[in-house]
Amino acid sequence: MKQQLRRRLAYGSNATLVTVMVVLVLVLLYVMADSHRVRWDFSADASNTLQADTESKLSVLDQDGQQVTITAFTHQRGKDDTYFRDRAVRDLLVEIDMASSSVSYRIVDFDKERLTAERLGVTDYGRIVVQRGKDRVDIKDRDLFRRTGKRADHKLNFMGEAALSRAFAQILAPTRRVAYVLQGHGEPAPSDRGPSGLSDLVSALDIERYDVEPLDLLRTDRDGAAPTVPGDATLVIVAGLHGPLAPQEEDVLLGYLGRGGPMLLALDAGAPTPVFLPRLGVRMPDGLAMDKVLIFPYKDRPVPVYKRHPITIALRESKQVTVLVAPAPLRISDPLPVGTRVDPVMVGGRDSWIERGGETDGGTPIYQADIDGEGPTTLAVAVQLLPTGDIVRSSKPTARVLVIGDSEWLTNSLLLEGPGNKDLLINTIHWLAGDDARLGATVGRRTAQRRLALTKKETGRLRAISLFLMPGLVALLGLITWNSRRGR
Amino acid sequence: MLVAWAIFKKELRVYFVSPLAYVFLGVFLLLAGLFFYLGVTMTGEASLRVMLGNLSVSLLFLLPLLTMRHFADERRSGTYELMMTAPVPLWSLLLGKWAACLALCVVLLLGTALFPAILAYYGDPDWGIMATSYVGLFLVCAAFVAAGLFSSSLTDEPVAAGLIGVVILLPFWVAGTAAELVETDWLRTVFRHVSFLAQIEPFSRGVIDSGAVAWFVLFTFGFLFLTWRSVESRRWR
Repeated sequence: MKQQLRRRLAYGSNATLVTVMVVLVLVLLYVMADSHRVRWDFSADASNTLQADTESKLSVLDQDGQQVTITAFTHQRGKDDTYFRDRAVRDLLVEIDMASSSVSYRIVDFDKERLTAERLGVTDYGRIVVQRGKDRVDIKDRDLFRRTGKRADHKLNFMGEAALSRAFAQILAPTRRVAYVLQGHGEPAPSDRGPSGLSDLVSALDIERYDVEPLDLLRTDRDGAAPTVPGDATLVIVAGLHGPLAPQEEDVLLGYLGRGGPMLLALDAGAPTPVFLPRLGVRMPDGLAMDKVLIFPYKDRPVPVYKRHPITIALRESKQVTVLVAPAPLRISDPLPVGTRVDPVMVGGRDSWIERGGETDGGTPIYQADIDGEGPTTLAVAVQLLPTGDIVRSSKPTARVLVIGDSEWLTNSLLLEGPGNKDLLINTIHWLAGDDARLGATVGRRTAQRRLALTKKETGRLRAISLFLMPGLVALLGLITWNSRRGR
Repeated sequence: MLVAWAIFKKELRVYFVSPLAYVFLGVFLLLAGLFFYLGVTMTGEASLRVMLGNLSVSLLFLLPLLTMRHFADERRSGTYELMMTAPVPLWSLLLGKWAACLALCVVLLLGTALFPAILAYYGDPDWGIMATSYVGLFLVCAAFVAAGLFSSSLTDEPVAAGLIGVVILLPFWVAGTAAELVETDWLRTVFRHVSFLAQIEPFSRGVIDSGAVAWFVLFTFGFLFLTWRSVESRRWR
C-alpha cells in the first residue's frame, strides 16, 4: 500500500512538473510569436494596411516617446450607417495601436460617458480627439466619412487614415501658423458664414493648425505706420479681387514675395489682376475657360484635368473633381522671366477653349474660331520664384505662388461641395508653406462600405432561408437517419 | 498514423449514424441563420462579421457538448479499459478523436456556406475577409474541441464533462470584457492576450496574424497535451 502511494506520488509529481514545464514553454512560444508578429491583409482594398505615410509619422511619434492618446466618440445610435462608422473607426484605431508603441486609443460611448465628453468639450457624435501633452487636434465626423449618392443608393467612404495621419503631422508640428487673407477690394471675408464667405476655409485651415486673419494693406495702424504683411505670415491669400490693387499694395506684396513669402492668388475672369502678375510668368487673357465636358447641369463649370504636380498627386489618385465656376484662362509666358519656374497644375480638357462670346447651343457656349481663343486652357499654375530672379532677393528662399483662375471654389458655397476642392486647398497650402511631406496625407485610401439594400420581399426571403429552410433541411435529414437506424 | 485514421473514421461514423450530429448541425445552423439575418438587417452590410463574432461565442457553449461523450461515455459504457489496453498509441487515439470532432466542425462551417452565396447574390461582399473569417472560425473550433476533449477526460459523466468544458473556456471569453473594464495597462494587455475574441478579431477584418494563429495552435496543442496527461494518468492512478 505504502509502495503504491509512493509510486503514485512519484508519477504524480513528475506529471505535474512536466505539465507545468510544457505550459510554460507554450506561453514562452506565444510571447515570442507575439513579439515577431507577421500580418497578411487579405481584405479587398487592403483596408487593414496602414499607408507608408502614416507608418512613418507613427515611427516619428514613437521615437519622440511622448504618449499620444486618441479618444474616439461613438456615432449616434439608430442612425443610418452607424455600425459601419463605428466599426471603421475601431478597426483603424486597432491597426494604429498595433503599429505604434506610443499611441493608445479609447472608444467612448457618447451617450453613456457624457462626463468624458464634457471634460474634453466634445458636443458632437463621432468626433476623434488626438492629444499629446497639451497639444490637441480634433477630427470631426465629416472629415472622416464622405457620402456619395442619395438615399438607398448612397455610398459611404471612410477616410479616417488620412485624417488621423494629418492629425499626427499637426501634433508633430505643434506651433500654429497664420494665413492672411487680403481685404479691402470686395474679397470674400474669413468671418463671413454666408455662401460667398470664407468661414469653411477658416475651419479647414484650423484643422491644419492655421489661424486665418484679414490683411488690410490700405490702412495704416493707429501709430501711423505703413501697412505691411506681418512677420508671422506663413502665407497670404489674395482671392476674389473686385477692385484693382493700389500701387503701394502691389509694392508690399512684391516685397513679401521678395522675402520668399508664399501666396495663393485666386483671380476671377473679368476682374482686375495684380500688376505684378506678368512678372510671375503668368498672364490672364480675356474670356472664360470653357470645355465641351462640363459639370452637369452647369454651363460654366469645365471639368479640370490635373497635371503632374505635388499638389495634385493625391487628387489624381483618388480621382476627385475640383469644381471651378466660370474660371479665367491663364497663359504661361514664353519666355519666362529669369529665375521663374511655372508648372501647370490644372488645365482644361483637349476640347477646351477660351470663350469670348458669340453663339450658344441651347445655352451652352460653342467654339468659334474667329472669336474664341484656342485651347487647351490652363486653369491653375504653380510658380516658383527663385533667388536668381528679379523678385526674390538672393539670400532668401524660393517663393511659391499658386495662381488659379477662380476664387469661388474657396468660398463656403463650393469648398465642401466640390469633391476635390477642400483637398486642393489643403494640398496647396502645404505646398506653398513648403510642407511637401504632408501633401500625400490629405487624401488617403478609402474604405468603402459594402451596402446591402434589401427590399421587404427580399428580407422576408432571407429570413425564410436562414431561419427555417436550412435548419429544417438538416432536421429532416436527421429524422430520416434516425428512422432508418430504428428500422434495422 | 493508420490507427489515428481508423479512429477518425470510426468516430465520424458514430456521429453521422446517430441523430446527434444532425441535432447539433440543426441547432448550429439555426443560430448561424439567426445571427446572419440579424447582422444583415441591422447593419445593412454585405458582411458576415456579426454572424462570425457571435458564432464563435456560441461555439464556446456548443463544442463542449459535442466532445463531452468522448472519454466520459467510453468510461461509463466500459469500452475505456478496452481502448486503454489495446496496442494503440495514446497520441493516435487522441488525434483520431480530435480530428473527427474537427471534421464535424468543418461540416458545420460548410453548412453556413449558403450565407456568403446569398450575400454575393444581393451585394458585393469582400471575399478576402470572408475567407479569413472562416480560417479564424476553423482555428476556434480546433482549440475548443481540444479543450472539450480535455474536459471529457476529467470525469465519467458526459454532462459534467460538457459543463467543465464550458467552465474551462469561459475565462477566455470573459477576458475580452475584462480588458475593456480594467484601468491598469499591464493587466489590460494580459487580458487582451488571453481573450480568444481579441485573437479572432484580426481574422474578421481580413487579416491573418501570425501571433493569433500561434495562439490558437498553441492553445490546441496545450489542451491536447493536457488531455494526453489526463488519460495517461489513469494508468498509474
